[in-house]
Amino acid sequence: MKRLRFYTPSLAQINISAASLMLPRRDRDDWTAEWTAELYHLCYCSATHKPQADPLRFSLGAFPDAFWIRCNLLRSAALPLLQSGSAARCGIILSALAAVGFLLCLCLPRARTALLPFHPFGPADLVMISGASYAGAQAPTIPLENYQEWQTDTDKLFSQLAWYRPTIKNVYATHRRTARLSVALASNNLFRVLEVPLPAAPAAHSPNSPRLILSRNAWRTWYHSDAHLVGSTASIDGQPVTIAAVLRDDHGQFPGKVQAWLLEDQLSLAQLPPHAKGFVFARIRNSAFPAPRGGIRVMTDARDGVTHCFDCISVDWLARQPTSNFLFALLLACMALPATTALPLGDYPRRRDRLALGFHTRRWVFLALKFVLVLAVVYPASIALAWGPSFTGSTAVFLQVATAFLALLFAFRWILQDQRRRCPECLRLLSNPARVGQASCNFLSWNGTELFCDRGHGLLHIPELATSWFSTQRWLCLDSSWLCLFAETPSPSPGMV
Amino acid sequence: MPVDAKLSHTAAMILQAIHAGHIYGFSVMQMTGLPSGTVYPAMRRLERDGLILSKWEQQSIADADQRPPRKYYRLTRDGRATLEAVYQRYPLLEKMIPTPQSKVEQRV
Repeated sequence: MKRLRFYTPSLAQINISAASLMLPRRDRDDWTAEWTAELYHLCYCSATHKPQADPLRFSLGAFPDAFWIRCNLLRSAALPLLQSGSAARCGIILSALAAVGFLLCLCLPRARTALLPFHPFGPADLVMISGASYAGAQAPTIPLENYQEWQTDTDKLFSQLAWYRPTIKNVYATHRRTARLSVALASNNLFRVLEVPLPAAPAAHSPNSPRLILSRNAWRTWYHSDAHLVGSTASIDGQPVTIAAVLRDDHGQFPGKVQAWLLEDQLSLAQLPPHAKGFVFARIRNSAFPAPRGGIRVMTDARDGVTHCFDCISVDWLARQPTSNFLFALLLACMALPATTALPLGDYPRRRDRLALGFHTRRWVFLALKFVLVLAVVYPASIALAWGPSFTGSTAVFLQVATAFLALLFAFRWILQDQRRRCPECLRLLSNPARVGQASCNFLSWNGTELFCDRGHGLLHIPELATSWFSTQRWLCLDSSWLCLFAETPSPSPGMV
Repeated sequence: MPVDAKLSHTAAMILQAIHAGHIYGFSVMQMTGLPSGTVYPAMRRLERDGLILSKWEQQSIADADQRPPRKYYRLTRDGRATLEAVYQRYPLLEKMIPTPQSKVEQRV
């Protein structure tokens, strides 16, 4: 017991040291000194035997005290963030807008496909053959007869060709409900061309029976994620098929909103009408097209004296189309920006004290951050607007470029104007504009607008007319002797203690 | 801090204890019977609201007593005005923690 009493002040001191870790470093020494002095007084100077005089119990009070100080500091630090015109508020608003844009994109299925790296399947030499440029990447355009002819005629151009045609079918699985799915009648080699690995055929699979591949979404929605579904027999419009596999989510979005693929041999496909239109994927030969492979290549097909043109659109390029459109709009906006606003940010005197570098760096970092956040706002917003609704390929491309260009141009203009109206030290928006001088007295004088920083860091002079001696706005630093003229930051109103 | 500010009973007791001359945190604890985890955060709040002011005692005084210097608290003008207003709300406060002056008056 005596030993415990001996160790108690040491344990109490440890408690105080541990609690002090909750405090910021600058307040820690002062706070610890106060608690240590009180503990010393309690242990060696006080003669009281009240329960509060137990050093260990006394020291436990250091934790709520440190916690209160920490919370109070956080609260007072959060207040300037919400103050109008502060740099933090500007950053928070832009970040929130960017988050809303990304969430909007994720909620719209087509926009999500455009935003996320789509078509992760497929090797670099994979192309889509389209009869209608971009529109052909969304709607079927290639008749079955063309596909069948190309299989033999274009063996120097393509090493493999696959075709599929989405149709709505009733799929009936034994002892399970009937599902009305968008089933793609596809050539047997479709997944081989796309290099999507499929599991080996189930043991119960008969070679003559077509294989049905379900998308993960259809498997979840219609078959409640039944683990024993693969290998069972189903019926599509009376035709028996074997459910061979469930495709993983990460195998991308196929054009045509397909929920299942019915893989059939060439003889079965030949029974379809020759004019039935579908999508064609092909693997181009290395010798056919020189590098680079991205973009669109035109393939001509002359039959019966008529020349037909088809576009070979690189799947890899198609996947990057929204990003490419955005970068193009960004380039256009950067080129158009000097025509809409002045680029210089003003004349700021060079500080020579040791804090100068920090102030300059903070200003430029804030400017760069605004540019980055604006890009993060406009990119998903333009995608959501262009690719979210059911627009066809070329309309979506035009919409995306137009909206991104306009939004970026006005946003960049705002960024520069906003930067010019901020105090270079505290980055808050300047206030209280006042007219200075007379318009008729421009010779060796100036007239224009004067703004000042609420915190007394300086004054900004903006000339009305640019002259040879006052061409751009100037920042005038005020030293600390001027601070008494400016209102202090209002203290938080006291409440119930 | 407005004079008619509403203080909790605990805060009013601490304010009265400081007014009564218990200027150190531990002596406030002893006077009020409140634990350290209540007294110190309450004193921080009172200081934030401008009702009390803290100051370190002179190093020479502490050196003379061979102990570390202590931080003491005293009422500000606002604190005194608030305490006057608080007496209306808690009439027994002055009797619970009498000031030296009121003790003399009681004896007379």
